[in-house]
Amino acid sequence: MSDVKLTSVQKHYAGFHALKDIELSIEPGEFVVMVGPSGCGKSTLLKSIAGLEEISSGSIEIAGRDVTREEPGDRGIAMVFQSYALYPHMTVAENMGFGLKIMKRPKAEIDEAVRRAAEILRITDYLDKKPAQLSGGQRQRVAIGRAITRRPHVFLFDEPLSNLDAALRTQMRVELATLHKRLGATMIYVTHDQVEAMTMADRIVVLRAGRIEQVGAPLELYRNPVNHFVASFLGAPRMNFVEGHVIALGAGATLEVPGLPPVTIPALQPDHGLTVGDAVTLGIRPEHLKTNPGGTVVIAEATIRLAEQLGRETVLYADAGALRTTGSDTGTDNVTLLLDEGAPPADGSTIRFGFDPAYAYLFRSDGRTVSAPKSRT
Amino acid sequence: MLRNRRKLLHRATPALLLAPGLLLFLVVIVFSALRTFWISLHVWDGFGDMAWAGLANYVELWGDPQFWVSLRNNVIWLVVFLLAPPLGLAIALLVNQKIRSMRLAKSLFFMPLVLSTVTVGVIFVWFYDPTYGLLALIFDAFGGTAPAVLSSDTWVTLAVVFAALWPQVAFCMVLFLAGLNNLDEEIIGAGRVDNARGWQMLRHVVLPQLRQVAFIAVAISMIGALRSFDIIAVMTSGGPFGSSTNLAYQMYEESLFSYRFGYGAALATVLFAIMMVFIVWYLIRLLRDERGA
Repeated sequence: MSDVKLTSVQKHYAGFHALKDIELSIEPGEFVVMVGPSGCGKSTLLKSIAGLEEISSGSIEIAGRDVTREEPGDRGIAMVFQSYALYPHMTVAENMGFGLKIMKRPKAEIDEAVRRAAEILRITDYLDKKPAQLSGGQRQRVAIGRAITRRPHVFLFDEPLSNLDAALRTQMRVELATLHKRLGATMIYVTHDQVEAMTMADRIVVLRAGRIEQVGAPLELYRNPVNHFVASFLGAPRMNFVEGHVIALGAGATLEVPGLPPVTIPALQPDHGLTVGDAVTLGIRPEHLKTNPGGTVVIAEATIRLAEQLGRETVLYADAGALRTTGSDTGTDNVTLLLDEGAPPADGSTIRFGFDPAYAYLFRSDGRTVSAPKSRT
Repeated sequence: MLRNRRKLLHRATPALLLAPGLLLFLVVIVFSALRTFWISLHVWDGFGDMAWAGLANYVELWGDPQFWVSLRNNVIWLVVFLLAPPLGLAIALLVNQKIRSMRLAKSLFFMPLVLSTVTVGVIFVWFYDPTYGLLALIFDAFGGTAPAVLSSDTWVTLAVVFAALWPQVAFCMVLFLAGLNNLDEEIIGAGRVDNARGWQMLRHVVLPQLRQVAFIAVAISMIGALRSFDIIAVMTSGGPFGSSTNLAYQMYEESLFSYRFGYGAALATVLFAIMMVFIVWYLIRLLRDERGA
């Protein structure tokens, strides 16, 4: 039995279709991350599960019970908000025990639950302080502590780390993942940060414009995106996309791409639906573009525009002339390469680079993936 | 040289910006208050020379039954005006509901704020009219006879205060509505997740966020009650037989009709002392909150 089950959930705001036929089933103990660009409906979906937003149609089940029309407090959920949303006039301990106090639990039980949560999160020293006296990271811990004391079926997180600085974000990311292992609870986590999604999730739900694009394990989505959007959303630096068209079809497809010799993609999905002359998009991950193209098949030349040295690896942005990428991170039509450590070529120098078509992705003009290097790492 | 001048200008800027307000405050408030206190120690008809009287005006005040009536009426004003913040909050909570045509209700409740006090006074004089007034019609409908509240020394002050309460409640409602619009939506969400509903939501989650607004509403209502004057002038001129007079109105009568500026100034000084209690309380709270934030 799944812990959370969404069945054809729809949400309309005045004239705006915010959630379109959402179907999702979450297993007990799973850590599910919902990710997508801003306005994709991920927060609306989370608030609908929490009961803070009413859905227009469909049903929501939590722990086998239909809670579609129930108040948030009756759904067996706890939520951690982006702004932490602590009660400013209550101490840390009162904040954490408030839910139990409303449920009229005995004081000893409340104290015990607060103490237990505070120990897990190492905030026992601040229990008598007011939220205003705490730092952002401490407030976030209190908000998580408040969720833990409720002992919910499902924890909901709404972009909980987006107000923290980079160092603290990494620390809290690790702590949240550890907490999930320790509590073994079901967690649903919303973020726009694909790094958080990739590192924390058991399964990722990618949303776009109110629709679920793909659901799966992080690496599954990374390796086998169902469409152009998912491929572009996961992975940093972003996949290189270049436009071309089909010039021959067999077991694979041969493409003509401006700035490249003919490229033959070895295997297509059986129902690819391509015909000769179709416009397609070729996708190559930055790590699959090599600067010493020994065994690689397709080779091009480019001028280095910028090298970002990250220590362990280097990101190169290069102008490859007629070979222009679309929809890149940088907003230019430069090609992005991700190289292992080593001194990068100087800015302005010319490099030869290439890739093995077996590592390339092929997308139809409607965005659907028709070839992906499934079996390879 | 130039740099020094610029530095000087930089230092002087706050003082220059504060100067107009400060000057006005010194002349209109501080100087007037001190001058009033000085006058209260004299016998003066407002035209001729002032004759030193020491504390004689205050001694007379102590033995003046009209002063005690005025003081008692001021207390009634204070107590009844304390109803304004909770009533304003209740109405604000009501019209803040997302119900169709609530906008109309909101503007109706808002209306007394745009009326001048004189208009409010006149409307209520009509309302209380024992023959043709709305109050009389209501009593008629139940087969009773309306009391002439404005001619009854028992009811007259309450009748006037309730008239004044109308715009005051509207004012508090506007304050609370602004406060309700500024509530943190995520904290409300957290309260709903914590299963707080109805009264508990109001008491534990909503009201604590309205503390600042409530404080301002109470302080302004208190000061409004103490300085009330115009509506008394319009509705009763302090009558019948001075029974609806308060300190401010008595001061006005003594000074401008009886030409007893010294005695009027003594009344003003007493009123100022009472008001000072509230002003000091207000300022201390304000400064403390500012430092806390």
